[in-house]
Order: sequence, then C-alpha cells, then structure tokens
Amino acid sequence: MINHHLSDEMILAYAAGSLPAGQAMLVRCHLDMCPHCLQRLMDAQNVGGALLDELPEMDLNEGGFDRLLAQIDDMPVLDEASSHPDHTGVVEGEVLAASSSHGPDMPALLHDVMGHGFDDIKWKLVGPGIRQFILPVQGSEGEKVRLLKLSPGFVTPQHSHHGSEITLVLKGSFCDETGRYKKGDIQEADDDVDHQPIADTEEDCICLTVTDAPLEFKKMMPRLFQPIVGI
Amino acid sequence: MRNMQLTVGILEKGRVLATEDLNKLLVTLGRDRCKACFRTLFEHFAPRLKSFFLKVGTNEEVAEELIQETFVQIWRKSHLYDPSKAAASTWIFTIARNRRIDRFRSEKSFVYRDDQYFADMLVMEEQQIDDVYRGELNEKIKDAIGLLSANQAEVVRLSFFDDISHREIAQKLSLPLGTVKSRLRLAFKHLRTILKEMDQ
Ligand SMILES: [Zn+2]
Repeated sequence: MINHHLSDEMILAYAAGSLPAGQAMLVRCHLDMCPHCLQRLMDAQNVGGALLDELPEMDLNEGGFDRLLAQIDDMPVLDEASSHPDHTGVVEGEVLAASSSHGPDMPALLHDVMGHGFDDIKWKLVGPGIRQFILPVQGSEGEKVRLLKLSPGFVTPQHSHHGSEITLVLKGSFCDETGRYKKGDIQEADDDVDHQPIADTEEDCICLTVTDAPLEFKKMMPRLFQPIVGI
Repeated sequence: MRNMQLTVGILEKGRVLATEDLNKLLVTLGRDRCKACFRTLFEHFAPRLKSFFLKVGTNEEVAEELIQETFVQIWRKSHLYDPSKAAASTWIFTIARNRRIDRFRSEKSFVYRDDQYFADMLVMEEQQIDDVYRGELNEKIKDAIGLLSANQAEVVRLSFFDDISHREIAQKLSLPLGTVKSRLRLAFKHLRTILKEMDQ
C-alpha cells in the first residue's frame, strides 16, 4: 500500500517531458508500482493532447505530405503480428527482455540502467550505516542520481537542501520528522526541509534519490563528512 | 448513451472533425493502412505540431523534420492505437513529445522510449472504458481548460509547450517557485475534478 504519492507538479512535468533525466527516471519507477499515479499521468497527458488540439495552425512547407509518403512507402509496419505493445527499435527489445528478470523489488527501468539487481550493487560506504551507489545517469547540471542504503540503527546526519531532493523507497522503510516511508512511497523535499532519515525496521532500507544541488549536512562531522560522502 | 452534444466540432477546410472522427481515422489507419486517413490526420495535426515544435525555440527546418519524424512514427505504430485508452490527440501528443525529447534532450530519451507500456498497464487496472467516453473526455478537458483562471492556464500551457522547468517558468514570469507550483496544483486539481465527475 503506497501512502506517499508524486505531487501534481511532478506528474505534470513528467507528462510534459520537462523533467531532467534523473527525476524522470525516478517518476517512471514509481509509476511502475503505482496505478493511482498512473491514472493521474494519463489525465495529465490528456491535458497535453487537448492543448495540442488547440494550438494555432501554422503553414507548412510545400509538399510535406508527399515527402512523407515517399518515406513510408518502402517502410514495413513494425511488428504488426507481434502481440507485444511496443517495439520501435532494438534497444526496446532489450529493455523488455531485461524487465522480465528484474525480480520483485527493482523497477524494470532501474534494472535496465544498472544491468543487474540489488544483490550485485557495488556499494560504497559514505558514513556510519550509509552506503551509496551513484548511477550513471546524466541529468541536468548539478543533478545527481544515487541509490542509498540505510542500515537499521543508524541515524543519517541531519541535512538540508539548497535545491530539491526526491526519494523513492525501493526496499524496507525509513522515517523522519515528516512521516514514515515504505516501499513505493515518494518523498519530495524542498529547499526548506531539514531532515534526518532513519531506517526503522530490521531490514536495510534502499532508496533511489535524486538531488539537483549538493546536500548540506548540519551537525555530524560537517567538514570531515561532506568530502567523504561527496554529495 | 452519453450526451453527444458535448462533442464540439473542429472546423477545418469546411469539414468538421470532432475528437470522435480523429480517433476513428487513427483506428482505420492502423487497421487498413489507409492513406486517405493518414492525409486527413496530417492535415489536421501537422500545422498544430508545427506550433508545438516551434515553441521550443527551434527553427522552421527542424520543426518540419520533427513533424515528418512524428508522422513516420504514427504510420508505424498506428496499429497499436486503442481509442479506449486515449484520444488521438493525446496519443499523438505523447509521440511528438518523445520526438522532441529525442532531439533536444537525448540524455533522457531512455525514460520515455517505451511509453506505450503504461497505456497497456492501465487498462489492466481499469478494464474497459468505452470509446464514446474517451471522445467526450477530450472535449470536456478542453472546456475545463477554458474555465481555468488566466494565471493557471498560463502556467499549464508554459509547462506543456515551452519545455522549461517549473523553476524556469517562475523566472520567466518573475514569480516565486512556490506560486508557480501552487497554480499548477490548483489547475490540475480543477481539471481532475471535472474528469471525476464524468465517471459518475
Ligand atoms: Zn503514486
């Protein structure tokens, strides 16, 4: 049961295609698990379609449709016989192949980016009870996409944000001043949030986290800790 | 049967193309590879897509190329279109959006590559929604957008067409980011309320 969903702004921005790569990826991973937000996405895309229909018509260059016909004339319809919804290229075939073996915990897109499941992640210790793995996703300037693993019994150093931090719980759960977050839950933290997450069960908590500016740790080992964490 | 009077026609070159008609054209294109249907869809959507692509600040030449790419995709994928899931304009919007991402923001095209997947997943959750409903829905959303305050409609349009982040919208309008976000939230809430009323 997912209790914390994506904000309207995130859904709208995803539908518009205007989120940076890391955030778009995180949103898609949540949509994979959440029919509620998926319905909201469909609504948002319907808004996009309705707006498209109302855009002013602009004159086209001559012969556009004839050029188009010339292009498609030799072109086969892709995978018409296939029952599978969408194959527009080789890469998608790979995505689909990967998604069938991603296991119950890892969203298909994340599995595709990682190339493997949780068990094979090369974690780096960045502080007491905190491990991270930086994902090779190139987003906007300053955007960082990482997996964080919080071990039970350790308190993450209190930190605040200059930009935004968005988190999706993939495994286990954590809680902080703002509430409890379980598998599938989203936490969106803005400039003004100041928090201290803690894994609150026996299990490790694994999260996908996207930040758009460096985090600022408050109390614990501020000078020593930050360069190690590299965040 | 729902009230068909809700369907407001679109007047174009003496022809009235309602949402329903556009959906049917796209279905027929997928089923029969009907080139006449393809032409009518092109004549309806290509001039609008030109506005769409020019809004990203690109030039005419690139906009025309992207229109061609979008219609090549429409041709290749139209057999996957299902009017019970989305209006033709929504389906074409997502293809055009993905073309734009591919061209200008290729670093994130991997996220949007397999979008059809969602439409299929949703139907498993929701089961059948009849075509008439989808046709009406599109018109209803247009009416609802018309009822938004000018401020709300402005941020919604900017976010869909100018390919800029909410932070950039805030800068452009000289507003605090929080104000942009709350306008978007209110607008979306309003639109979704109208959609929900239709379900009852
Ligand atoms: Zn959700």
